Amino acid sequence: MKTKFGIGIRPLIGTVLLVLLGLVQMPLEFRLSDSLREKKLIPSPPDLSLRESLGQMGFAAVLGGLRSLIASITYLQAYVAFENIEWGKVDSLMTLTTRLQPQEPLYWDDASWHMAYNAASSYQKDESLRLPLRDKLYRDYVQRGIDILNEGLTYLPDNPRLLTRLGDIYNANSASRRQPDARKAAHYYLEAYKNGAREFYERMAAYQLALLDDRESQQQAYDILRRYYDKGRYFDTMNTLFPELEEKLGIPKEKRVPGPVKFQSR
Amino acid sequence: MTFRPWGMSKGLASSNNFGFITSMETNNSNAAVEVSSLTKVFKSGMRKTPLVAVRDVSFTVKTGEVYGLIGPNGCGKSTTMKIMLGLLKPTVGSASIFGQSSEAVGSRQNVGFLPENPYFYKHLTGRETLHFYGRLCGLAGSELKDRTETMLKLTGLQNAATRRVGGYSKGMLQRIGLAQALIHDPRLLILDEPTAGVDPVGSRTIRDLIFELKQRGITIVVTSHLLEQMQEVCDRVGIMSNGRMVREGKIEDLISVENQTEIILEDAPDELIREIRQLVDKHHSRVVTLGKPRTTLERLFIESTAQTDDREAP
Amino acid sequence: MSSPSSSLSTYSSFSLSRIWTLATNTVTQLLRMKILVFLAVFSVIVVAAGFSFPAMSPEQQLKLLKDVSLGALQIFSMVIAIAATALLLPRDLEDRTLYTILSKPVPRYEYLIGKLLGVLLLLGGGLLIMDLIFSSIVWLKQSLIISNQIAALRSEQQDVPDNIAAIKAFTGQYGLTWSLHAGVWSIFLKASVIAALSLLISCFASSTLFTIVVSLGFTIAGHGQQLMREWFVSKLSGFWEQTIGLVMTLICPDLSLFDLVEAAIRGDVIQLAALGSVTGMALLYIVGYTAVAYLFFADKEL
Repeated sequence: MKTKFGIGIRPLIGTVLLVLLGLVQMPLEFRLSDSLREKKLIPSPPDLSLRESLGQMGFAAVLGGLRSLIASITYLQAYVAFENIEWGKVDSLMTLTTRLQPQEPLYWDDASWHMAYNAASSYQKDESLRLPLRDKLYRDYVQRGIDILNEGLTYLPDNPRLLTRLGDIYNANSASRRQPDARKAAHYYLEAYKNGAREFYERMAAYQLALLDDRESQQQAYDILRRYYDKGRYFDTMNTLFPELEEKLGIPKEKRVPGPVKFQSR
Repeated sequence: MTFRPWGMSKGLASSNNFGFITSMETNNSNAAVEVSSLTKVFKSGMRKTPLVAVRDVSFTVKTGEVYGLIGPNGCGKSTTMKIMLGLLKPTVGSASIFGQSSEAVGSRQNVGFLPENPYFYKHLTGRETLHFYGRLCGLAGSELKDRTETMLKLTGLQNAATRRVGGYSKGMLQRIGLAQALIHDPRLLILDEPTAGVDPVGSRTIRDLIFELKQRGITIVVTSHLLEQMQEVCDRVGIMSNGRMVREGKIEDLISVENQTEIILEDAPDELIREIRQLVDKHHSRVVTLGKPRTTLERLFIESTAQTDDREAP
Repeated sequence: MSSPSSSLSTYSSFSLSRIWTLATNTVTQLLRMKILVFLAVFSVIVVAAGFSFPAMSPEQQLKLLKDVSLGALQIFSMVIAIAATALLLPRDLEDRTLYTILSKPVPRYEYLIGKLLGVLLLLGGGLLIMDLIFSSIVWLKQSLIISNQIAALRSEQQDVPDNIAAIKAFTGQYGLTWSLHAGVWSIFLKASVIAALSLLISCFASSTLFTIVVSLGFTIAGHGQQLMREWFVSKLSGFWEQTIGLVMTLICPDLSLFDLVEAAIRGDVIQLAALGSVTGMALLYIVGYTAVAYLFFADKEL
């Protein structure tokens, strides 16, 4: 059966149905995509500025659901740039990678590592530069590493991996000594532990707290380590720290830890 | 001796066939196919004028008869067939199969169709093709298997049953086409150019098959350009031209030349021939032609090339 | 032969058997077109991805393996969904195979459903096999990484249960998780929606090539739905841009809803409820597009 204008009735109904389907599905799509984005199950649409960085094909691939693959590729490119000691390129490629997959802690971690450790140390050892410049670049790149981790934490709040990396950068005992700050290190290690990092990091926090001069920190350090001791978990570092802390805190002799301990895990 | 009346051709239908013959000549309850005032107009784009493929065509095919639909290319035969099969919808008018509208999908349960230049899925073997179409017709299990083997045997394709249809010759494609058309034992068979591209032996086999099917009471609608063959198999024909039915009726009535008589003699001496001439003159008649009758090239071909079993040929 | 008083079976207006016959025929047709060459190519890609880049960290090696494998799965499934579906109807029409089928008691909607079901069966089966191959390689790689790391710990006498458990948990998150299978399921859903859309387009398209090009266009638009919604509808002031944007938003499916792959690669837990919602959305698209396809196909002059 055809309408007055010679168009079939059914195709006309089909067109109307297609539009109705669109009207029905649009609010459902909105709701579902908001819900999935909230649960971080689907990514937000890519920023249009990525088009310049990735080119047409790369952008299309990102749109087409290959974001993770593109991120892996840019990550690999950053690794190649790292091997070629092209720190600017490493930074821009890792920035691109983290923009592509801001939910991937690995990328924030490695981006920070490249800057705070690899780039910073590289400039520090670069004898073609004058010493003051080397020191400045070293500090700048360590700070860049810290900034990257902080930016990562805005996307991944309380991510234990990023928190432990921040702790490592501030770690005052670390051989690499990036930006030693025992208080900050302890704070980040404790936060990491609270959010699921291994208990090793709680002890790391204690070791950092033990370095501080204020009584509160020292007490906190002692309490943490004593808890492990009372559970029968002994670590060699306790042999140095227990006497030190017990002395500083004025713990009565009868309540002190008796004698040296030998490392003993569960 | 064969006796055939010759004379002026007389058809029962004139060029404007509005179904008058149908109503007089047929009992509708016996109608396998009824096409009534069928018109089909194709509109092809905004600017082009519409194409009237079929104009006000009416005819009836009685149950059990062989009906031929003939006409030049582009006369509307295929369009009419497609409407009968529900592949196209009529613009005006209707078509019905055993009383059911051709637009109803259920009407095709009773119909088998052999298309012109049949094309089947190349990736299927002969047997798989029949299974496929059989299942579409509702056959299953052992019934499907039995029917498939019967059809393969009927069409002489047992040896090619495991070969892919993509490797079949033209003749084999026609045969598998016939097999799939018959697989569900339809009451009506529609054959579109069944012998097109087939050699005379194969063509004769198909003709013989049509006769056999007719014996079994299957109604057949057939189109062909091979008018000799149509003449042999059809009970009634409809001649279409420019979308119209211009002639319709029984073969004998349509092709008999009434005012002529044919006599074929064997071992007639010259004296007898002279006497016959004299008799003709005496009765004020006229000898139109006198000479040796001819066989047909087809008959000659068949006699000369008698193969043991043409179905063995690829 | 029996006397033709009636055909051998009676007609029913809806038959699962007919649909299944058409579906399995479609699968056979596509399989015999050597579409499974994709499987072989995929397997090579997965193995290559799994064992290249040994210099990368273990987690990145695993991530790269999953990225490449699931990326290949996505590309293959989308290509097959478009190409296989685009081939079906126009080819049947060009070859006139369609006449022979529809001259049987087969309603047009059954023809469409059967064809689509065939493509979905092929996609589902192919993805299942590829999932098995890919999961095996990930499992193998993961096990190798864990044993290497435990051996390294052992050499440093640090192979305490705590450390071993931490390594297993950490590597496990980057290795084989149930989320990966959910990711593969989401790839199947996306491909199914694309196949249904291609089928709809093929119902009024004039050729296979046209169907492929238009389907590809809609697939790209479908991926950019969220961008389109945010950009065209809200920011552009032009009437035509807004109209086109709105029309595209109405017609195109939001394919980004099915991009659970990233979360799957990360090892995030994909809740059953979320998976159910996404599946429901896919079903809505598929049923809707198939219904519209039927309405266009029902009156198509053959």
